[in-house]
Amino acid sequence: MSDTGGQAPTVRHAPIDPVVVIQSPEGVPVSFVLATPFERALAFALDFLFSQLMTIALVLILVVTAAATLSEYVLAIALMGLFVFRYAYFLVLESRYHGATPGKRILGLRVVRRDGGPLDLEATLARTVLRELELTLPIALLSAPAQFLGRAPVWLTVLALSWLAIVLLLPVLTKERVRAGDLVAGTVVVRVPRHAMRTDAAKRAGSDRGLQFTSKHLAHYGEKELEALAELLRAHEIGRAEVSDLTRVAETICQRIGLSTRLLDDPERFLRDFYRAQRTELERRLVLGQRVADKHARSNPRS
Amino acid sequence: MNARPATNEPRSLAFRRERESEWLALEALLDRALPRGLSALEEEELHSLPMLYRSAVSSLEVARATTLDRELVDYLEALVGRGYLAIYSSRRGKPFELGRLLLLRFPQAVLECGRELALSFVLFALGVVVAWALVQHDGAWYFAFVGEGMAGGRDPGASTEMLRGALYDDSGGEGLSIFGAFLFSHNTGIGLLAFAVGFAAGIPTAYLIFTNGLVLGAFLGLYSSRGLLIPLLGWLLPHGVPEITAILLCGAGGLAMARALLLPGERSTREALVIAGKRGAMLVMGSVVLFFFAGIIEGIFRQTVLDEPSRFAMASFNAAWLTCWIVLPNVWTRWRGREAS
Repeated sequence: MSDTGGQAPTVRHAPIDPVVVIQSPEGVPVSFVLATPFERALAFALDFLFSQLMTIALVLILVVTAAATLSEYVLAIALMGLFVFRYAYFLVLESRYHGATPGKRILGLRVVRRDGGPLDLEATLARTVLRELELTLPIALLSAPAQFLGRAPVWLTVLALSWLAIVLLLPVLTKERVRAGDLVAGTVVVRVPRHAMRTDAAKRAGSDRGLQFTSKHLAHYGEKELEALAELLRAHEIGRAEVSDLTRVAETICQRIGLSTRLLDDPERFLRDFYRAQRTELERRLVLGQRVADKHARSNPRS
Repeated sequence: MNARPATNEPRSLAFRRERESEWLALEALLDRALPRGLSALEEEELHSLPMLYRSAVSSLEVARATTLDRELVDYLEALVGRGYLAIYSSRRGKPFELGRLLLLRFPQAVLECGRELALSFVLFALGVVVAWALVQHDGAWYFAFVGEGMAGGRDPGASTEMLRGALYDDSGGEGLSIFGAFLFSHNTGIGLLAFAVGFAAGIPTAYLIFTNGLVLGAFLGLYSSRGLLIPLLGWLLPHGVPEITAILLCGAGGLAMARALLLPGERSTREALVIAGKRGAMLVMGSVVLFFFAGIIEGIFRQTVLDEPSRFAMASFNAAWLTCWIVLPNVWTRWRGREAS
C-alpha cells in the first residue's frame, strides 16, 4: 500500500517554543514557555522608559521643592533619592507585583523561581544588583572608555570586553534563556500561559450516529497520525486548510484502511467520524497500557 | 474482535464533560487573581481556589495519561500553570521581611561567607602594606596609586602644614549634606559593582579590593612619613570603619560568587551560584546601610568635628555597633539552635 498517508496532512506545526518544567511545591511538574530574549529586551525597554519618566517627574518635584525651600537638605535627599530610585523601581515593583514589573506585565511575562518556591526578596535583590554588571558597566564603558581602559594593556581589554559580551549574550546562549542575574538568583522568565478551550474535534450533536467503523478499519493508524488529523480539522475550522486538502487526506485514509472512496461525498464529515472512532479506539488501548505511537507500530506484528 | 462496530465515544470526551465546569470556575478566578494578586478574591473564593487548583492538577495528570486530545492537555497545562503562578508566586507581602533580612539574614550571610571575607580582607591589607611600604621608601610611588584628582594636592610635594590642614578643614557647614549624599551614591555604586563583577571569576573584584587598599596604603605612607599617622587615623576611621567594612563585604560577596563558579564542590555550578548569589545579595544589602552611615559621617561629622578624642570615640562607637550587628544575631541563632536540639 502506498505510504502517502503520513505526509498528507499539509498543516505545519507551530514551531515548538522552549519550555521550562518547574516542580511545584506539591510535586507536580508544571511547564511554562520561556520568554524569548526579544520579549525580555522589549519588557526591559518599557521598564526603562517608565523608570526614566518617573525619574523626570521626581526631579521636577524636587527642583520645585528645592526652589521653594532653598534648603540644601532637599538637594541632598534628591541626590540620594535618584540613586536609590534606580534600584528601587525594579526591586519594589518586582517583589510587590509577584515577579512582574509593568513592562513584563504588559508583555505577559513573569519571573519565577527555578526550584518552584515563591519569588523572595533575596532573589529579586540578586537580580537587581547584577544589572550593575549587565547595564551600568557597559554604559559606563561606552560613555567613557578611556577612563576604564586607558591604562590596561590591549590583550586585557580584549579579554575583558569579550567576556562582557558573553555575559550580555547569555539570554541567547543559554538553553533556559537566562541572564546573569537569573543565574545568580535562580530564576527564569516565563510567559504567563494562555490557552483558550476549543471545542473538541470529536464532539458531535447527540442524535447524529455518524459513520460506523469496524475495529479492522481502526487498526492502521497510531497516535501521531491521529494528532495530525486533529490538527488538520482544527486548521480547517479557522480557514487555514482547503476542502481539497480534506479530500486528499480522506482518500488516502480510505485507501489505507480499505474503504471504498465512493463514500466520500462529504470529506469533512468522514474525517470527523473517523477521527472520533480512531481516538476512541486508541484511548481504549491507552488505558490498557498499549500505546500505539504511529502507523509503523501497527505494522509490527509483535505490538 | 473482528468487525465489531466501535460506537462508543472517546473517553476523553466524557472526561471533559464531567470536569469542564470546575476548570471554567478556576479560570474565572484566575482571570482576576493573576493580574491583581490574591487580594482581588473574596474570602469564599480564596477558600475554593486551592481545591479547584488541586482538581485541575489531577485532571491534568489524568489527561496526560489517558487522553489523546492534545488541545485538552495544552489547555489544562496552561490552566495549571496559571494556577501555580497565582497561588505560589503571589506570596502575600510579609510586613517585616526587610527587617528580618537585615537583622538576621545579613549577619548570617557574613558568617557563611567568612572565608571569602577573610580573603577579601587579606587582599585589601596586602594593598595597604605594599603601598605604604613603597611610599614610605620613595615618595614618587605615591602617584602610581593615587590619581591627581583624588589627591587634591595632598601629595609628597605638599608641606606638612598643608597635609595637616587637610585633616582639619572646617568647610563651614555649607552643602555638607549634599557632599554626604554624593559620597553615599558614589561609594555604594562601587560596592555594587565590586559584587557584580565577581561574576567574572572574581578577578575584577579582587583587583578592585586590592587597588582600594593601595590608595589607603599610599595615604597612610605619606602621612606617617610626616609623623601625622594618628591625626590621619582620627580623620579616617570614623567613616572608614563602616565604609571599608562595606567594601570588604561587597568584595566577599563577589568572591563567593566566583568560588561557586570555579569550585562548586558537590553541588552543580548552578545551584552553588544561586546560594552564593543570594548570600552576596544579603551582604550587598547590609553594605548599602553601612555606606549610608559612612556617607553621613564622612560628609558631615568629619567636616565639623575636628578634635581627635571625639573622632576616635566616634570610630570606636561605629566599630562597636557594627560588631554587635554582625555577632549578636549569630550568637542568638546558635543559642536558639542548641535550645531546640
